[in-house]
Amino acid sequence: MIRRVSGEQWLAIGLIVIGLVMAWQIGDISVDAGYAGVGPRFFPSLVVTGLVVAGGALLLQRRHRHGPDTIIEEGANDSDELAAEDAASHDADWRMFAIVSGSLLCHMALIGIIGFTLAGTLLCFGICRGLETRRPWLDLVLSFLLALGLFHLFQTLGLNLPALITGVL
Amino acid sequence: MESLNALFSMGFATALTPANLLWALLGCTLGTAIGVLPGVGPAVTVALLLPVTQSVDPTGALIMLAGVYYGAMFGGSTTSILLNTPGEAGSIVSALEGNKMAKIGRAGPALSTAAIGSFFAGSIATVLLTLLAPVIAGFALQLGPVETCALMMLTFAAVSAVLGNSPLRGFISLLLGLAMGLIGIEAQSGQPRFTFGLLPLIDGIDIVVVAMGLFAVGETLYSATYENKVKVGLESMKGKFWMSKDDWKRSWKPWLRGTAIGFPFGTLPAGGTEMPTFLSYSAEKKLADAETKKQFGKGAIEGVAGPEAANNAAVTGTLVPLLTLGIPTSATAAIMLSAFQQYNIVPGPLLFDTNPELVWGLIASLYIGNVMLLVLNLPLVGLWVQFLKVPRPLLYGGIVVLATMGAYALRQSWFDLMLLYIIGVLGFLMRRFDFPVVPLVVGLIVGPMAEKFFRRAMSISQGDLSVFVTHPISLTILLVTVAILVVPPLLKRRQALLQAA
Repeated sequence: MIRRVSGEQWLAIGLIVIGLVMAWQIGDISVDAGYAGVGPRFFPSLVVTGLVVAGGALLLQRRHRHGPDTIIEEGANDSDELAAEDAASHDADWRMFAIVSGSLLCHMALIGIIGFTLAGTLLCFGICRGLETRRPWLDLVLSFLLALGLFHLFQTLGLNLPALITGVL
Repeated sequence: MESLNALFSMGFATALTPANLLWALLGCTLGTAIGVLPGVGPAVTVALLLPVTQSVDPTGALIMLAGVYYGAMFGGSTTSILLNTPGEAGSIVSALEGNKMAKIGRAGPALSTAAIGSFFAGSIATVLLTLLAPVIAGFALQLGPVETCALMMLTFAAVSAVLGNSPLRGFISLLLGLAMGLIGIEAQSGQPRFTFGLLPLIDGIDIVVVAMGLFAVGETLYSATYENKVKVGLESMKGKFWMSKDDWKRSWKPWLRGTAIGFPFGTLPAGGTEMPTFLSYSAEKKLADAETKKQFGKGAIEGVAGPEAANNAAVTGTLVPLLTLGIPTSATAAIMLSAFQQYNIVPGPLLFDTNPELVWGLIASLYIGNVMLLVLNLPLVGLWVQFLKVPRPLLYGGIVVLATMGAYALRQSWFDLMLLYIIGVLGFLMRRFDFPVVPLVVGLIVGPMAEKFFRRAMSISQGDLSVFVTHPISLTILLVTVAILVVPPLLKRRQALLQAA
């Protein structure tokens, strides 16, 4: 039977990929600077090896009902654990994940253009939407007041934040 | 009593200036206010408030951050007791027993014993810090690169194998932190590593971005995706507020025992607050008489008094390795270390010689901060409870706006915001799949230091690795490291075999 790749196994694959990308990058580090047998490649090589080995161990690890790393007898059934993970996946509300992520990415793109206060308002409001707020208008007003308050507080403290109208918004 | 002399002549003289008193008060107030917010632990509170200190002189800034650290701990216990949502591992036990007390109308005594216990533990632990720190710093001066490197290995092994319930997950988290720590200019040769040709990565990844990404953004993503349907109820402050005579009688011994358990744990590389609080809880349960034993799990005051004291004593304990060795053993200590680095101050044995005013001023401010927090928390608890009523969506919105601001303020670059988001997604995945985050934070900050000391050790021994086992101190530390790695799995296996038999 072909077993479905679980979220955790994808994570393990991700770790191995990160390890391999880093291994490829190690080639770009010049070794001339090393002395006493330990150059700038040594520590990265250790970390890369660790990532690939640990990723491999996570990939091969069986999921157990009594939590990670539990020793279970050979041949024991771990279908309950698979069912639990499926249930957790179904509980996930990816629409909300997308709203929060979108708010953060929009904030990142807009902060230099519309300034901290307005970008911060949009971000705070977006997160309120992502957390299923029931009173959008009030949240919009409160988000604006919060961002404006923070803008002025930190400007007083000498922190330079981008503004749409310098010193005001 | 050289340390007491230094504390009074330099420490209190520095900490008692009007400006520094004000910074301590501001730190304690802001720390409590933010720490009381559900789901916000001391690490994220310190990270969030780091930008506030940018325009303050180093001594004032560190005094304020110490106040924030302590304040967040005090605030966290209020949230645990009234809302049953611990902001960090050390508050889990107080949430367990304290919330039960609140449910039966004893929220007041629970909050009081937590606050007074934290004050006692914090004060005793600060006395121990005062007496011990210079001694350990003196000892640390004898340590060479070989021993320091071995000590860092012990820290790595301890934070990854002991924290959380899976050593493999702890190690993966640590490796991710070490990998992030490699990004940027390599200290000895000055060449960039793992920057992928991106200019903003040359300076490396800032600990503030990592802490806020993992704790604030990751938590918000997780909350939006998985916890929108979870309802938490705020317990009301009904019944008497003050502790009765009986409550005092039942609390003072657990406070002392909690302090005795918490402080040594804090000073160890395996530190953290999780283990001492659980140990204190189980000790109180074991020592209780038959009548009290029945109350455990239903709201026993000993179960709040002991762990809260242990928690605060452990937190003060983490300042010992931080100030004397420059090694952070918890996420919050790692962020404190980055605050030191912001001002080009290197914590370690030399700190007591190079910046005595700063370090003794900081220690003196801990005494003052403790008193301030007691005064702030006991009569003003009603005010802090109002903070718990902030609607969850707006609360997370505010925290993320603060986090993005902190990240952006570092270099005024959208790149740091992108990094914040990417690390946030990593934090989300780690939370989803039950990976501890503390090893990552410690790996990120201690990793580059460990590499530096390892290379120094190798250059001294001309590449001979056996130097680690020929130096007696280093050999001892490495043996302890091996024991930490080997003993728990063996015990687990033995237990499993005994259960199967």
